[in-house]
Amino acid sequence: MMAQLRGISLGIAAEVLRSFAIAVGIVVLTFFLLRMIPGDVVDVIGLEGALTYEQQANLRAEMGLTRSWGEQFWLWLGMIAGGDFGLSSRFAIPVTQLIGAVLGSTITLGLSALTIGICLGIGLPVLAAIYPRSAFVWLAEAITIWSITVPTFSTGIAAVVVFAVWLGMIPAIGNLSAPALILGIDIAGSIAKILREDMKEIESADFIRTARAKGLSRTRIVLAHILPNAMTVTLALVGLIFSNVLTGAITMEIVFGRPGIGTLALQAIKGRDYPLVQTIIIWLGIAVIIANLVADIAQRFVDPRIRLR
Amino acid sequence: MRALYPPGSDPDGRAFVLDESEDRPVAGPTRRFRFPHLRLGTWLGVVIMGAALAIACVGPWISIHDPNDFSSTVNAAPSDIHWLGTDDLGQDVFARLIVGTRLSLVLGTVAALVALLAGTLAALFGMASGRIGNLLVFGIVDLIRALPGVLFALALVVAIEPGTTSVVLALGLAFAPDFARITRASYLQEAARPYVAAAFVFGASPVRIALVHILPNITGALVTQFAIILPRCIVLEAVLSFLGLGVSPEYATWGRMIASASSYTEEAPHVLLAPIVALSVLTFAFAMIGDELRRRFDPARRRIMT
Amino acid sequence: MSLQLLKPVVAGLLGLALIISPAVADPKYGGVLKLYWGTLDTTDFHRHTGTISLTHPFAETLTSVSKDGQPKPFLAESWQISSDGLTYTFKIREGVKFHNGDTMTAKDVLANFSRIRAEVKKGWLTSAMEPVDRFEAPDDRTFIVILKTPFSPFLNLIAEAWILSPKSAGWDKTISHPIGTGPFTFDSWTPQVVLKGKKFSDYWMKGKPYVDAVEFDVRELADASLAVRSGDLHGAEVPLSKRNILGEDKNVMLDFRGDTSWYFVSFNNKTPRAPFNDLRVRQAISYAIDKPAILNLSAGESGQLVNQMAAPGNFYYDKAMADADPHRQPNLDKARALLKEANVDPAKVTVRLIGEATDRSVAPIVQMIKRLGFNVENKAYDDLGYQKALSGYEWDIFPGGSGPRNDIFLRFVRLMSDGPNPHLWGGVTDLEFDRLVREASISVDDTKRRALYLAAWQRVIDNYYTVAIGHTPALYAYRKELRDMSIGFNTSAHRADGGIAFAWFDR
Repeated sequence: MMAQLRGISLGIAAEVLRSFAIAVGIVVLTFFLLRMIPGDVVDVIGLEGALTYEQQANLRAEMGLTRSWGEQFWLWLGMIAGGDFGLSSRFAIPVTQLIGAVLGSTITLGLSALTIGICLGIGLPVLAAIYPRSAFVWLAEAITIWSITVPTFSTGIAAVVVFAVWLGMIPAIGNLSAPALILGIDIAGSIAKILREDMKEIESADFIRTARAKGLSRTRIVLAHILPNAMTVTLALVGLIFSNVLTGAITMEIVFGRPGIGTLALQAIKGRDYPLVQTIIIWLGIAVIIANLVADIAQRFVDPRIRLR
Repeated sequence: MRALYPPGSDPDGRAFVLDESEDRPVAGPTRRFRFPHLRLGTWLGVVIMGAALAIACVGPWISIHDPNDFSSTVNAAPSDIHWLGTDDLGQDVFARLIVGTRLSLVLGTVAALVALLAGTLAALFGMASGRIGNLLVFGIVDLIRALPGVLFALALVVAIEPGTTSVVLALGLAFAPDFARITRASYLQEAARPYVAAAFVFGASPVRIALVHILPNITGALVTQFAIILPRCIVLEAVLSFLGLGVSPEYATWGRMIASASSYTEEAPHVLLAPIVALSVLTFAFAMIGDELRRRFDPARRRIMT
Repeated sequence: MSLQLLKPVVAGLLGLALIISPAVADPKYGGVLKLYWGTLDTTDFHRHTGTISLTHPFAETLTSVSKDGQPKPFLAESWQISSDGLTYTFKIREGVKFHNGDTMTAKDVLANFSRIRAEVKKGWLTSAMEPVDRFEAPDDRTFIVILKTPFSPFLNLIAEAWILSPKSAGWDKTISHPIGTGPFTFDSWTPQVVLKGKKFSDYWMKGKPYVDAVEFDVRELADASLAVRSGDLHGAEVPLSKRNILGEDKNVMLDFRGDTSWYFVSFNNKTPRAPFNDLRVRQAISYAIDKPAILNLSAGESGQLVNQMAAPGNFYYDKAMADADPHRQPNLDKARALLKEANVDPAKVTVRLIGEATDRSVAPIVQMIKRLGFNVENKAYDDLGYQKALSGYEWDIFPGGSGPRNDIFLRFVRLMSDGPNPHLWGGVTDLEFDRLVREASISVDDTKRRALYLAAWQRVIDNYYTVAIGHTPALYAYRKELRDMSIGFNTSAHRADGGIAFAWFDR
């Protein structure tokens, strides 16, 4: 028992350390990658002919853009160590304020999609297992196939066209239900796919046949034996689902015209707003890492098979 | 160089396994060619793939219009002259769709190949270079996986000069981590098998073991992953084109068609639907084929394919 | 008069009143106005980087550009220009209050102009402030500007010199909360999401504004027309391509902006490489470009084929110059003949073309050049990327466009050798052109100025620095229940003679 606990804690410690290292890596990589992008915020300001070349050079010196990358990096590191992520170079407003204003919208979309996804993704296969000759089987298969074949991007655009433009059922801009549903089905499909296979495998296993022979009801068997497995699988997938939800949310926000991290990041990249892009990428990356870390730790506790890894 | 264990057989050494879909034993090691008994979905996938390849090769010759030829018949409905109508610049949608098929397949394949090479080589290098190399390489791999793919590709394309090269590079780098992980996982699994230990005992060098014994056995997993990543490359390219940062505008990729058509959804919905349907159908085909490949190459291991 | 006659007279009068009352209905108060009208890029209005659409509702200027492009009195009640064009004396309007209750005086105006001149090293007003010698405010109602040389665009340019209260937070560095004199107070701003303003009850135009509050949607929308049709927005700038669909919708009214955007194809003038330094090659390419087709594709029936930077209706437009344009229709034969004459085999030449990724007219232009036989290397960038690429001057041709300007001078200045961001026009370095434009800008005589600008533009035409294709207007759509809303010459939402202060909801 003690040995097991020690094993788990060592494993967790190693994972935490690794995640931290990756987080640091993200910080460094983002900073330098962004500096490689041609064009900077002075070009944005000088757009449409406001500044002569000389004025632009002066402005760059003023904004500190002419200092060496290394110098800029240390300065910036110092700032974020103190929690100050700087001002948006385009709007002169604290970056954290800009992100905070739209974060809620993205989280709403992400959580809604996640909820729909988990409910459908676990619910449908379970129901399909309990009622093997019902429409649930067909639905589960359909969702699985749909999610792996149709890209959410094109579904989103088609949905805007059909439901907003033609039918007028949803507003053209800013709708929540449509993107949440589309993303949710996508997530549900990935979960359902794994669960369905699991269930089919377990179904044919000996102990199930024994249980059935003993007369236990189908529902009982499904819930008792298969559901816990579903949890493990979902946990294992959480990290992946999290980053899928993020990517999906970004595309969906752009397609459905919702304010959010996605549109913010896109505009920031187009406007060469380094501080904003940096901070967004870093926060998102760290969020994914934390999600993966939490899922990993949870798995270690839940799934005995992994403990000894 | 032949695989020691044919695909489909159980890693624990049993002679035959239950084929899930048919519930009867399939004979074990055999070299005779048997006409593949495939599921309906897989057949559909193969047929669609074949059609897409045929269109890509022959297409530009059979369409009567030049895909970049603009005209004054703008947003026209399908007719005898323009089989799928025209877009907002008067360009023939059918011709553009065909060119788009070729572009999607070529771009997707090249990007996926770049991802395959980069990922596999990085993984092999990482595993071969001791603790620190391992940590470094796979740290970077996890780093890239942690970033949302769209943003990563976007930032890369903007950083390098926009164009075909940068798009392919960005897509390749964005998906390389998937190949790196698969390579590592398969490699470790194969390396644990008794025949590798046996080879080692008999004096084979690690390099020889890697290349001659292990690599052939993981190609199955790699090919499967390739079939899964390819459609993702195609979709990501479509997203990039949609955002205005795809390949050179002369190339009528589906993403670009979707982008320009989305402003005219009322006047010309067919112009928007055509590339969307094409994209979905092709992704479906790849998914079916990928599924079948996975069924054949690692039925016992559950690989998380998302 | 007997009562019998009175009845029909009264009935007649009442009937008449009923008939004409809808036309002269009294504006009703109330409502929240939702508009999609451009974007805001900074709370420090003096430092704006080009978008002026949403600043006027909160802070106003001495002059306001009316629909026909002429400056009208705004915060300045009237002005006088000395005969030598060096002294501008403005009479400041009385009783104008800032949002914080202070009364605006000439001293505040002076403080603003001084701040712009001294503090703001970047921005549109830099060229306006260059010829300025000094400002004076002898009393509360008089503001005097003394120039070193005459400067004809001055009155139009100061329509963007916003007068803010010096007590605005951040006045010394970067204003974070602007306090102005406009019809709405600056309530809140979430960049790229929404900008909100509340009605200012002490606004100097008595009785205005009529609506209680205004909400500007400042996201980047490709097409706001759907939102207008569904009623989510009451007014918006919409794509020209939606003109017909919106025209059919009975709940929507259409309006066009006064100033147009113009489209052109520029050659690299700074470092032209062979064979594009040969005038005949440039001529040939101009003959290959099908201007009517391009205009048709980008603007449908709303485009105007003009070979100048000024559109018909503008004072600086010249019909004779437009009629003399040999490139109004394409002529591939002549183009090929010219190439032959210049000894150029197009199959051996690769044209380096830079375009903006979302510009739909680039593809047709590339096709047209290919028809001549050239190979084309087409590089597409995003908004900033192409500007950066252009300033590297490693290109031959750039098809582009430029938006509305308060004064024609702001268009000419871009083609001067020391102008701001001249790379969109290939970095024209023509000293005679510079001289003509400078003389035009200091000229006090309207006719002489026009002649000078036309002479300058003739040089552009003769040397094929850039080939103007045509002009397109901008389309705006309003809901039927929104009355008296209009767009003026530029993109601003509020003017002396119209805009959101005059708009009201008819419910």
